[in-house]
Amino acid sequence: MSSSSLNGAHLISADGISKSYGRVQALAPLSITIGQGERVALAGPSGSGKTTLLYLLAGVIQPDSGELLLAGQDLTRQQPGKEKAGLVGLIHQQYDLVPHLSVLHNVLAGRLGQWSLFRSLISLVWPQDRHVAEAALAQMGIADKIHERTSHLSGGEQQRVAMARLMVQGSRVILADEPVSSLDPARAEDLLEILTALAGASGKTLIASIHSPQLMRKHFSRVIGLREGRIEFDIPAEEATDQVLEKLYDLDQSEPFVWGGGN
Amino acid sequence: MGRRELRLLESRRLLTLLLAGVFLWSLSSVDWKGQLIHTGGVAAFWNFLSALFPPDLSPGFLRLALTASWQTLAYAVAGITLAVLIGFPLGVIASGSVSCSPGTGLGLAVAVRFILAAMRSIHELVWAVLFVAAFGLSSLTVILALALPYAGILGRIYSELFNQVPEEPLRSLRASGASPFRVLLYGRLPMALPDLLGYTFYRLECAIRSAAIMSFVGIRGLGFEIQLSLNDLLFGQVWTLLLFMVGMVVVVDLWSTRVRRSLVS
Repeated sequence: MSSSSLNGAHLISADGISKSYGRVQALAPLSITIGQGERVALAGPSGSGKTTLLYLLAGVIQPDSGELLLAGQDLTRQQPGKEKAGLVGLIHQQYDLVPHLSVLHNVLAGRLGQWSLFRSLISLVWPQDRHVAEAALAQMGIADKIHERTSHLSGGEQQRVAMARLMVQGSRVILADEPVSSLDPARAEDLLEILTALAGASGKTLIASIHSPQLMRKHFSRVIGLREGRIEFDIPAEEATDQVLEKLYDLDQSEPFVWGGGN
Repeated sequence: MGRRELRLLESRRLLTLLLAGVFLWSLSSVDWKGQLIHTGGVAAFWNFLSALFPPDLSPGFLRLALTASWQTLAYAVAGITLAVLIGFPLGVIASGSVSCSPGTGLGLAVAVRFILAAMRSIHELVWAVLFVAAFGLSSLTVILALALPYAGILGRIYSELFNQVPEEPLRSLRASGASPFRVLLYGRLPMALPDLLGYTFYRLECAIRSAAIMSFVGIRGLGFEIQLSLNDLLFGQVWTLLLFMVGMVVVVDLWSTRVRRSLVS
């Protein structure tokens, strides 16, 4: 009982994880814990390590050092499959669907972690779990696109397909890499509405890199500011004022920031 | 730019200069005035070309040309089919994209790449000579002689095409919990398919050519008929047979374009 409640409190716990690409350190050793159902916004300028952190949490890349536990399991040593797919799902900036496949297959790809190899193979000819994909697409409002080739869809529609895939995957954690960076304000609002509803409905944890202070405060409960691979701050969303964020994104770092001093 | 990269670049330029120099020097060893073209060779060539006219279009010979073309095409298609069946799985392994553990997968990939190289380094005619010794002048000889080197070529190209697809959708599939083999099925394969098909069709054209020259080891078909007509100095017939040859390649090319277009749009 106590261990399960501990897992609930710290669904994700990273201890001193770091990542370098060649000589460039993308992420200095950092430690964070994130609980079940939290909605975390990652803020920070380009190159601050947001994407690297998300990929580490998704298990797509491996940390150079440190320990990363998801629901008490060491994600770095886990083979892809059912358990990993049930834990984390990732949605990308560019949606990253397979353009040559139909919408249906792209959505059903969310099941690849659960299906046997044989089932994955025959699904290409006779789609398996079709009703699950249909339901997800209906919820995204693009049920009529199910048989279209994915490359024929608009950017917004592709993003909905990617979300339908995420729904079909049904992971406990949803990671989103700059989900609204290429959208106009109305669509960004709409998308975050869907994303948070998706997460909130079943108590999933949502972690997304976001730049807009308004969106952070409206849709998220916690904001982690990253800069040059380090955590600058880790605060409740309501404390993430425009000033705090301005300082994070400030190009000229040497200039001392005066609290409340304005600019 | 690091110093090491600079040095690499310099050595690359040096190599380019060296090779260009070797080429220029080789030109100097050609005797441009005397025997470059055999005296009277041009005239003989024109005699030969004009002798090709008119092509023999008599119904009897057309039927023979059609049968011979059909035979050559059948050999080529059977050879390519077997080559795809062998080359595809080998190409998948050689791409190194489906390994369960990185270490053994890489070792296996290198081993398979070596096998593919060995298969294609021996020309189909040489394979044919070997197989004639084993199986005689049978269809099996032609099909195997075509399939082995072509499987070596296809496997090599397939493995490259599998690795040239964009990485992002694959990463996204992996994030959904897909194993390397499932990533191959849902990512690499569909994204590489138009190129895989296009290249296979191109190789089918080559196989038609190769099947035709199997006449050198005594196999029947278009090449065999060309040889017979040449021996009998019936150049009009040669012209007809060559037209059939070109026709087959053009048809395959049109077919290939059609299939690719239906896949892309």
